[in-house]
Formats: sequence, structure tokens, C-alpha cells
Amino acid sequence: MASLSVALDRSPLRMPSRTLLVIAILAVATGLVSLLALGFGAMVVPPGRVAALLVDAVMTGVDPMSTDALVILQIRLPRLLLGLLVGAALAVSGAIMQGLFRNPLADPGLVGVSSGAALAAAVTIVLGDTLLAPVFGKLPFAVLPVGAFGGGLVTTLALYLIATREGRTSIATMLLAGIALGALTGAFMGFLSFASDDRQLRDLTFWSLGSLGGATWTKVQAVAPLVLPVLLATPFLARGLNALTLGEAEAFHLGVPVQRVKAAAILLVAVAVGASVAAAGVIGFVGIVVPHVLRMAVGANHRLLLPASALLGAALLVAADIVARTVVAPAELPIGTLTAAIGAPFFLWLLLSRHRSAPA
Amino acid sequence: MSAVEARSLTLRRGGRMLVDSVTCACGAGRLTAIVGPNGAGKSTLLKLLAGELPPSSGEVLLHGRPLAAFPLWALAALRAVMPQSTSLAFPFTVSEVVGFGVDGIGRGLSRRDRARLVTHALEQADVAQLAGRPFQTLSGGEQQRVQFARVLAQLAAGRTIEERQILLLDEPIASLDLKHQLTVLERARQLAGEGLAVIAILHDLQFAASFADEVLVMNAGRLVAAGHPLQVLTSHLIHDVFRVRLASAALPAAPWVAAR
Amino acid sequence: MPPACLSRRMLLCGTLALPFLPAASRAGGQRIVSVGGAVTEILYRLGREGDIVGVDSTSQYPGEALKTKPNVGYVRALGAEGILSLKPSLVIAVEGAGPPDVLRLVEGAGISVVKVPDEPSEEGVLRRIAIVSRAVGAEEVGARLVQEVRDGFATLAAARASITTPKRVLFILSLQNGRPLVGGRGTTADGILTLAGARNAGATLDGWKPLSEEGVIAARPDAVVMMSRHGGEAAPDPFALPAFSATPAARERALIVMDGLYLLGFGPRTPQAALDLLTALHPQALGKAAERG
Repeated sequence: MASLSVALDRSPLRMPSRTLLVIAILAVATGLVSLLALGFGAMVVPPGRVAALLVDAVMTGVDPMSTDALVILQIRLPRLLLGLLVGAALAVSGAIMQGLFRNPLADPGLVGVSSGAALAAAVTIVLGDTLLAPVFGKLPFAVLPVGAFGGGLVTTLALYLIATREGRTSIATMLLAGIALGALTGAFMGFLSFASDDRQLRDLTFWSLGSLGGATWTKVQAVAPLVLPVLLATPFLARGLNALTLGEAEAFHLGVPVQRVKAAAILLVAVAVGASVAAAGVIGFVGIVVPHVLRMAVGANHRLLLPASALLGAALLVAADIVARTVVAPAELPIGTLTAAIGAPFFLWLLLSRHRSAPA
Repeated sequence: MSAVEARSLTLRRGGRMLVDSVTCACGAGRLTAIVGPNGAGKSTLLKLLAGELPPSSGEVLLHGRPLAAFPLWALAALRAVMPQSTSLAFPFTVSEVVGFGVDGIGRGLSRRDRARLVTHALEQADVAQLAGRPFQTLSGGEQQRVQFARVLAQLAAGRTIEERQILLLDEPIASLDLKHQLTVLERARQLAGEGLAVIAILHDLQFAASFADEVLVMNAGRLVAAGHPLQVLTSHLIHDVFRVRLASAALPAAPWVAAR
Repeated sequence: MPPACLSRRMLLCGTLALPFLPAASRAGGQRIVSVGGAVTEILYRLGREGDIVGVDSTSQYPGEALKTKPNVGYVRALGAEGILSLKPSLVIAVEGAGPPDVLRLVEGAGISVVKVPDEPSEEGVLRRIAIVSRAVGAEEVGARLVQEVRDGFATLAAARASITTPKRVLFILSLQNGRPLVGGRGTTADGILTLAGARNAGATLDGWKPLSEEGVIAARPDAVVMMSRHGGEAAPDPFALPAFSATPAARERALIVMDGLYLLGFGPRTPQAALDLLTALHPQALGKAAERG
């Protein structure tokens, strides 16, 4: 990976001041949303108490004893961290996918990565419960992101083999093959839900709903080692994705190792999507809305777009989760329905405005 | 030793010979025009020379060294390629697009140096006034001039590594108005004067005749003639290759020059 | 979690929430979150509705439960903080409530979580009542309720014995795009049909499965059972579908529509629900009119 990243970009960290300003603003916004997420919930905990608990936990590291402490340290904090990781992963994979496909409407969901990951997670559950359970006992959670990543990767590699001729990928073939593979994984998913028993079925439906409920430190520990390296690696893709905007041939003329950039992009997307699908199910529209808003606000340059997407995606998902868990408290809304309720109308508006502004 | 040399260059696709054993040499300090009817294999030949397509057989040498032996970064500093047309999926501004030409190319350039190269290239291609506009909103001709600026910027940045540069232009004036056709060709001529090897696909035989030091005539994948334009572009050859008859005895000189 | 730790945590929780939360061991005066329609029904029958501080969205009976108690959400999509915010001392949940991680977090807060098994049978109902009454320290009232329900099952058994020719019944959970989702083996539908002395015409399937049109014909149901929709909307007529029109049930227009929770809840009302279903299936045999159904 190290040599690859050096080959992709020799100066990813030199940023002009405007870039730094945008990043700083988004980072502050993400921080504020995070504070809100820690401070608000069904349970009323005074802000002073929240701060004291956090300081206590950092300084002494003792196991929480009061309900307050448990709510803050075992429920809100892991949920916040999982929300940040999943939001960042989804938005960044959306931005990378759109750069790769040179299409602002592309999304990991569109090319079958999400459904492949969800299918693999479902297969892992069913197999883990039936074949492997007698041997290994209950499946540890950490197996799921790995399974989901495997599924996402297999789908993308299949896609790649179908759409690539003589080392060159046809975007049109890849999009069409992605739709076909999405239908295929959907069919397998249907078969799986037919074959599984009711209890397994309940676990399977989780993948299509998407929720941050049930976030635990175990999940954070399983997801962070997958998502953080992806976020750290994305700046090295920026120059390649910028050049790819001109076309694959043009990027090659500019000295970009096109095939390696594409392979790295696909790998990073598979890892990020696999991890977030395993932890939170399929949460739609973050990957399409966030990069779009940012392109309109701060431009299309991937050097800024990728880190800004990570921050805005994280902030947006955590904000949506605050709404999801407070608006009908003590009950919760599934966050996937919330992002779809906001994202789908936005997406339609986007299509309409593109349609209108398109030159005749 | 020529800057660009093709040896029995062949590209076969599905039993068809798109480029059929082309051997040619393009020298530094010269503007070489590739002419020929539609489907003659001009663009394919240019793609082979750029290293964009691997040949079925034969090879391309740049300054005597096989093209395949160049690392990508060295190749990007050595030669720039201007495509026929480019569509952009995202709302990059004109100066961002030209900035791609200097991003990661060359050595020892500060951010200020690179910004200066971009500004200079924008002026050279007469698009400085468009710098802040989104590329997608430009007309076809304006977009082509922006691409020309990007290529000029890449050459300027690459000069920090490689001085004996090569410029490949695929129909660079196809959608330009008369004034800008002249601007671009004069700038290309000037670059050749500075020692670059410039190779351009042109459709206008008059422009080819008045700007090029040498023409390569392609027909059905083969190189059918090469040499000084006025010696090569005879009424006989024009009839054979282009299926048109010359109205006068010889090719007339271009009737226009740029207004100062 | 080691028991010593648990008790210490419970003690601490109890101390902190002293004004709201009397010690858990005292009978009555608990703060209970009830998850699952049957659990809520049992608690009401035990006279412990005053102790309930939250119910899930499937707790549709009695109707006042969801009107007067905070809703903690759907039985399988609970939120840990939402439950904790009600400061419960006890969570009683049907098997399959979750997500499991949420219940684990609640348990981690020192709140006892009692799981009520999911067994669609006479013994299952009695065991549920026993477990819930033990959890809330209402063994005496519980024992009386168990006896009452057992008597109900005895009446049901007598009625069942009078059936000479059992009917083949298809239980349809939903009818989407003309594709029926049918209760197969091991489902609550299978359980209630067995109690009502009927043969499950969908017993070739395992669990809730969609049945094909030819499958419907091959099942040869004498009657079809469907659930009434909320808001009094009429259920779609299955006999309008070609596949159903070829069944014996269509000739008799034998369609029974009953409340879903009443039929499938497997709580204290189950003996009566099964008897109602039985009566609806065999109106002549019992010499009673089917007006109850």
C-alpha cells in the first residue's frame, strides 16, 4: 500500500489555505454535532455531568457504575463513534465511486458493492448459525465486517472482470453489469430468506433496514481498523481521480497509473462499504447527497472533496441519528428510513435541476 | 536520432489492420502534420505514439529509447497529448482543469511556481478571461482552447525534468474559429521553433501545407507518403487518397494570417 | 457477567434512583418495561398494569396500554437508551425481542431482563404466565390465572373432541400482489390451528412462506383464516383470485377474519381465541351460531 500511494500522489498533504479553511469549518461542525449527540437522548443527563463522566472515564478509566455513566460511556459514545465512522465511510466511498465512474450519480449501492456486502453478511449469519455453530460456538461480531468486505470485493472483482478488456475498464459495461449483479445478489438474498428460519430472518432484515441501534464498543473496535486506514489513504487518490475526470487516456497522458488508481479505489470502497454494512446495515443516500452538496459548495477538486466528504458524511449521519433516537423517544426510528426520507427528495430535485440546466 | 520514431508499427483489431506496419520518424524542432481521410488510422497512430495503446507488433522509440521503458512520470514530463474533445462530469473551473496539467508533473516547483505556469498557459491559449468559469459551461471551441492551455501548462512543468519535449495534437483546431485556429497553429509552430517535436493531426490541407515542416499521409491504415508538404501533397496524391480533385495546378497558400 | 457484580450494580442503581425506584425484591411497586403483546396482556391480567412504565408497539391489547404508556418501539427494533430513560427495574420481553445487543446493554445497566419463551402451544401459554408472574412476584394471582386458563383449555379440548371431521385450514398472514404469505410448520398459526382442532393446510411449508397459486390449489383448504386489519379496513377477498376459486373453501365461501394478536398472541386469551376459531369452522357441529367470530 505504501509504495502504491507514493506512486499515486507525491504531494497529497500540501493544501492551499482555502482548503484548510473549509476542512476546519467542517471539523468544527462535526465536533459540535458530536457534542450534541453525547448531550441529547431519551435519557436526560445534564451537560456538566456528561463532561464530568467523560473526563472521569479518560483520566481514571474505571468501569461505569451509575446509569448515567452507562448511558454516556456504553451507549451514546460507541454509537457516536460508529455513526462518525459509518457516515464518513459511506460519503467517501460515494465520492470515490463517482470519481471512478466519472458520473455524479454513481454510488456503491448502484454497482452492487452494498448488496454484495449485505448478501455476504447474511450468508455469514446463516452459515455461522447452522454449519459452523456446533464447531465454533456463537459467531463473534468481528467476522461480519470481514465477510461483508469479502462480499463487496467479490462483487466488484466480478464486475471488473466482466467490464475490463485488455486492462481497460468500460464504464458503461461496468454500470450495466453492476445493475445485473445487484439483481443477482437480490435474488440470492431472496433465496436465503426463504431457506432460513424465522430467527435468522430477523437478523437478515436488519441489513436492509439500516440502524445504528445496538452500537457497542465491540462493533466500534471491529469497524475502526477497517474504516480509518481507508480515510487515511483517500488523499493519495485525489490527484488520480482529478485526472480521471478528463478521461482515462488523458489521465494516462498526465502520468497517472490509471489501472492502479482504479484498483485502489475499488479496494478502498469495498473495505469501507463492507465495514459499514456489517455494522449498520444498508443506509442509503449519504454516499450520493454529501459529495453533491460539497461539489456545489466548494467545487469538485478531490483534494478537498474527499476529506470534506468524510467530515460532512460523519456529521450528517450523527445528526440524523440524533433525530432518529429522540423524535419518538423512548422508541427509535430506523436511520435508513430517515436518510432515505431526506435523501430521496433531494436526489429527485438534483435530477430535475440537472435536467433543466443541461445544454440543449 | 529522431525524437519520435515508429518501427513497423501495427495494430490489429478483430482481423482489421487499423495501423499497418507504419515506419516513420518525426524530428525535434519540426512540426509534423498527419493527414488522411476519415478512418485512415490517424488517431490510432497518434494513440500508439502516445503509448496509450500497445501495438500488436512493432515499436515506438522516443529519443531512441523504447516508449515502454519510460516510467509514467518521466513520460508525462516528456510528452503532452491534446485530445480531440473532452467532456467533464464534474463542475471543475477552467483554472482547475489547466491546473491538472501541472499537478504532479515536473520537479522542484513551488505552489506559486505552478500557479504562475497555469496563469501563463491560460494567457497563451487566450482563455485567461475564462479562468473562473466552470468548464462544463463553455462552448466546444472554448473547451478546446482550455485543453490546449492544459497541455501547454504540462509542457512547461515537465520542462523542469526534460527539455527535449514532444507534443501530440489530435485535430487541435477542429472546433475553433478562424482566429483561434491561427493562434493555436502559430503557437504550435513556435514550440517547434523552440526545439520541440510537434505532431498534429490536421484536416485542412492548406493549413498543413503552410504550417508543417513535414506531412505524413495515411490511407487505410498505411503510411502512403511522407515528406515536405508541397512535394507530397500533389494533385495526383490528393486525388488518390482524398478522392477530390484540386481546382488549381498546385495547393494554394493559406489565404489568412492572424491580425496583429 | 458475574453475579456479584450484577448485585452491586443493581444496588447502586437502586440507590441513585431512590425516589422512583423502591427495592426490586418488594412485591408490587416495580417499574416494568413490557415487550411483546402477550407479556402486556398477562401483566394486565395479573393486575400489575400500574407497574408498567413502557410497552412495545405490539402491545395492542388491552387498547389502553399503548394509549397510557410510553411506546419503546417495535419489539425487534428497541433502543437501549429509550428503555433506560424510563428507569425500569425489570424488562420482560418475548423471545426474539431485540436487537440482542440492546437487551445486553440494558442488562449491563443492572436491570434484570426476563425472556419469555415463544412456544405456540397450551404448555407454552401456561409457562409464559408462570414466568411473568414469578418475575413480578405475583405467584398467587398467577397461579389463579394459570388455573383459569387451564380450565379454558379443558373446555376447548372438550369442544375439540366433538369434531368428527377436522377441516383443512390455510392461515394467510398477508396477501400481497395476490401472493399469500402462509403459516407453515412451527408457526403460531400452526399452533392455533392445532388448538382449534383443524389441520394446517400449509403444513408442507416450514415457517411463514409465500405459497404459489398451484400450491394453494394443492393445499385444498376447506377454510381460509386471515387477520383483520387495523383501522377497520376490509381484508382483501382471497376468493377473487383464480387459485383460491378452485378450492373447497371458495365453494363454501369459508373465510374467517379475526384479530391478529388475539389469534397469534399466545397469551391468556388463547383458549377463547381457539374456541372462537373452532366455532367459526364448525358452526353446525356445536349447535351454536358463528356470531362470536
